[in-house]
Amino acid sequence: MPSLELLGQSLLSGLFIGGLYGLLGLGLSLSWGMLRQINLAHFALAFLGAYLTYQLSEHFKLDPFLTMLIIVPGFFLIGMAMHWMFAKFKVTPFNSLLVTFGLAVIIESLIQWIWSADYRKLESPYNDIKFQVGKLFLPLPELMTLLIAIALSIATWALLRYTHLGKAMRAMSENPKMASAFGINEPMLALLLSGAASAFAGVAGACLALSFTLAPSQIYAWVGVVFSAVMIGGLGNPLGPLVAGIVIGLSEAATMAVTAPAWAPLVSFSLLIAVLLLRPGKV
Amino acid sequence: MDRRVIAAFVVLVPLLAAVPLLKLPAFYETFLYLVLHWIVLATSWNILSGYSGYFSFGHGAFFGVGIYTTAVLSGKLDWPFLSTLPVAALVAAVFGVGLGAIVFRLPRLRGELFGLLTLAITFVIGTIILNTPIDGGPGVYLSAVPVPAIGPTPSGSFYLIILALAALVLWVAYWIYTARLGSGLFAIHDDEDVAEVQGVPTFRYKLIAFGISCAFAGMAGGIHSVFVSYVTVGEVFNIVVPLNVVLMSVLGGSRHWFGPAVGATVITALLYAFTAGDFAVAGRAAIGFILIAVILFMPQGILGQLLRYWRKRAAPKPLPQPLPPAPIPRTGQSGELILSVEGVTKQFTGVRALSDVTLQVHRGEILGLVGPNGSGKSTMVNVITGLYKPEAGRVVFNGTDLVPLPSFQAAHAGIARTYQIPRPFASLTVLENATLAGMFGGRQLSRSQAERQAMHWLEFVGLAERAGALPTELNLHQRKFLELARALASAPQLVLLDEVLAGLTPSEINNAITLVREIRNRGSTVVFIEHNMRAVLELCERLIVLNYGQIIASGDPRKVIADPEVISAYLGTPHETGR
Amino acid sequence: MPTLERPMKQAAEPSRLLSVESINVSYGDAPALWDLSLHVNEGELVSVVGPNGAGKTTLINTIMRLLPVRSGRITLRGEDVTRMSATQMCNRDVSIVPEGRLLFGQMTVEENLDIGCYRSLARPRRSETMERVYALFPILKERRWQLAGTLSGGQQQMVAFGRALMAHPRLLLIDEPSLGLAPSIVELVFEAIGQIHRSGVSILLIEQNAARAMDAASRAYVLEGGRIVTEGDPQQLMKQPAIRAAYLGEAEHPV
Repeated sequence: MPSLELLGQSLLSGLFIGGLYGLLGLGLSLSWGMLRQINLAHFALAFLGAYLTYQLSEHFKLDPFLTMLIIVPGFFLIGMAMHWMFAKFKVTPFNSLLVTFGLAVIIESLIQWIWSADYRKLESPYNDIKFQVGKLFLPLPELMTLLIAIALSIATWALLRYTHLGKAMRAMSENPKMASAFGINEPMLALLLSGAASAFAGVAGACLALSFTLAPSQIYAWVGVVFSAVMIGGLGNPLGPLVAGIVIGLSEAATMAVTAPAWAPLVSFSLLIAVLLLRPGKV
Repeated sequence: MDRRVIAAFVVLVPLLAAVPLLKLPAFYETFLYLVLHWIVLATSWNILSGYSGYFSFGHGAFFGVGIYTTAVLSGKLDWPFLSTLPVAALVAAVFGVGLGAIVFRLPRLRGELFGLLTLAITFVIGTIILNTPIDGGPGVYLSAVPVPAIGPTPSGSFYLIILALAALVLWVAYWIYTARLGSGLFAIHDDEDVAEVQGVPTFRYKLIAFGISCAFAGMAGGIHSVFVSYVTVGEVFNIVVPLNVVLMSVLGGSRHWFGPAVGATVITALLYAFTAGDFAVAGRAAIGFILIAVILFMPQGILGQLLRYWRKRAAPKPLPQPLPPAPIPRTGQSGELILSVEGVTKQFTGVRALSDVTLQVHRGEILGLVGPNGSGKSTMVNVITGLYKPEAGRVVFNGTDLVPLPSFQAAHAGIARTYQIPRPFASLTVLENATLAGMFGGRQLSRSQAERQAMHWLEFVGLAERAGALPTELNLHQRKFLELARALASAPQLVLLDEVLAGLTPSEINNAITLVREIRNRGSTVVFIEHNMRAVLELCERLIVLNYGQIIASGDPRKVIADPEVISAYLGTPHETGR
Repeated sequence: MPTLERPMKQAAEPSRLLSVESINVSYGDAPALWDLSLHVNEGELVSVVGPNGAGKTTLINTIMRLLPVRSGRITLRGEDVTRMSATQMCNRDVSIVPEGRLLFGQMTVEENLDIGCYRSLARPRRSETMERVYALFPILKERRWQLAGTLSGGQQQMVAFGRALMAHPRLLLIDEPSLGLAPSIVELVFEAIGQIHRSGVSILLIEQNAARAMDAASRAYVLEGGRIVTEGDPQQLMKQPAIRAAYLGEAEHPV
């Protein structure tokens, strides 16, 4: 059994990575739950955002957090373009999985072409900053990721819950025809939603760049665990991926501390399987 | 089976087997190995996923199971390489069938969810293998495993082994494509619930297809493990294998047995051609573009598109000669009970659709079942045909209670139905739709017999000239009559016609009424569910009225419609205070 | 429930609010409409009755422009709206209470009402309109935070009415409000329809329950097989065999 400190530090990193799962899952959950598009390219986009953050920071000496100001609008447009294409070609939910896989492959190739397959690590002054609470250390980049994940999830939730726009989006995702009969401009809202989902991918990518070493081969490593978080959290629920992500992160950390790191993937996937088999009714 | 296909196999396989004699450099033999390797993986995946629509993202899991079976048996326990292959196939098949036995019973786990579940299974199995002595972490070395000297060189031998497996897989895929199993799987693809009601044993068929698919993936894995001679969990249990097979099958055409082979060849060749130098990356990007273009513009895949083009150019196939069916077996006397519904209750969340309903149908009668919207008529039909299982009660058909039996048994027993909103199998032609009913219905006919029966019934309803059309090319009236032809082609003793007249013009209605009478005169019993009361009064000898899930009247039609309770059920009661 | 500053029309020249002229509709598997004409004057409550499968819902959905028209014309206050969208109809003061309610089940009662007043004309008056809706249907006020999908059939019907009223319609299209409801709830629903009509909203009411629909209306049409088979004064129509024939086939005995 590991010491209490070690366990605590483990759980803390589980919490932080859970936040990143949630941040990655937020956009995916929105586009799957509300637009019925399963976006495999979401991960590739996140990595593109990560690489762009790396590039802008290393070579243009921009503060990594400020790079988001450039990435977010750009990715918003990419998201809108993707949805426009889906709507124009009337892509079914299932086919969206395949089309986005194609997009993911293209983006991955683009990344490899520009940045090669070598590992890249963003060296920023933030990496060295750590806060100390008792015997536990909270590294700044991970802490920022968690805070951003929480802030964005809550902001999205609040927007969907309380604003007219948010209510219109929820109505539209339930019954687009009825929503249009009450004046809701479905095509426009769908574009906004898709843009937001991709923008969130970009933000997640920036956070990824701060904490992780990047390589194109890493893109698919996140697919399974983030899909788990999205499904367990309930499609279309903005707080779902965050909560589920943290649960998964903590369980993984506990498993790793008590047994061995290699057992960790079992946790998220077993949870996913359990949810799929046992949850009654549609997801 | 097509003689041309058999000839192709008989000629090409020996030809291809002679390739190692050319003593090509290993680079080329390896390329050929890889092409055949991916042909095996993509074709085997397609047997379940392409044919039935249950897209599995876990093909890598079964491939990996096969890899590690051989790795352990040959690498660690020194079994001869070739003998491990059947074991690898068996182990993978057992995993697949075990998983399928659980998952295929859950109707909500279709489509994307099935894909996700199978993906999750991949990582679970991988993690378990990684953390147990099967692998343990460092991977398994197989370079010491002796490769049987079948060919002049080791790479030649591998080529021959995989060629044999590829030929086998393609043959099996072709055989299934032409057999009942294939027809059933394609029906499941289009509309699983309707397929079940037509008599396709959906659970069994999916399980068989899955087992075969996994067995071949496992065997391919066994071969591949010694080919690469060093296996690790990370390389095998990931998302790459499933994504590649999906890509290859969709690109080539997932509705055809040879489509995945086309896709596998194209993709592998592309990747290989681009591997030299910087173009590897461009090659992958090209594949991404191709996939998107295919989904958006050519959803049937390369082969599918080519076949469509050729079919349009080719002379139309002659239609089968219609064959009047053998008379419906009179397993009983006219007038006796053919169907007895006893105390059936059906509950949905918040709504009790049927409340303790008891009714009887006599052999040879035309019984009308009517009632206002929401009274439970369609639910009753769904319970009788097995789509819904009631919370209470029995459905006794020719003396057997159908409720405890799997749903497809209703069709085998001799019950058929039409759907209010027509639900033909969208990718099958009119003739194929009717043929399927004959193959899986009460008589379990062979395909050729069923085709001839189908032509007979298509002539009966006036759709013979449209036999080669797809359902989307028909108008509503024609689709309704296809429903009718399909129901009749299954040679039912009891036919339930669910609002078959809705949406028809008066002359079409008269036509339909004549048909229904003729159906009864040929030996079937008819339950006629309708809103069009004029037709009901013309046709039905007896009438049962449902309201709010209960029977409120039954008996002679004219007396029933004059019953005040029936009138108020339909027309409503005026406001109490009146004017 | 008084609506916005609408002058109370004296019973002088009735002006055409809605005019449907010889439309032909044939869309997918829905029952078709053949050469169908009807009109609704300002301030009227017009009923369309007929058996199931006659095309009543097709008619309402077509008027709301949720379905395309093959040929013919639909005009609203003289404006040709045949090629317009449902959103444009909403902005022209037309609102719908659809068959089967079609509420946003995952949203609360109050949120459903909010969607009703989404359009820019209605939104500023949200609170006052909502108070009026709650006055009409007090039970909704009690359950304003409840998810719409968990309400009973009758309560859902009230939410559907409320949602449509929040949009400040001048023309309200109501499709089979009594469907699946117990008789006592049907009473309440028709009460509410009466009140809404008296407040100045013109209504086109589609109903399977002919007796109730005829009670409420000043004019009625009978729809069968996608065509109008008869029209006129509701009380007269109820006495004719034609209506029983439409629902129940040939009438054996006089009514």
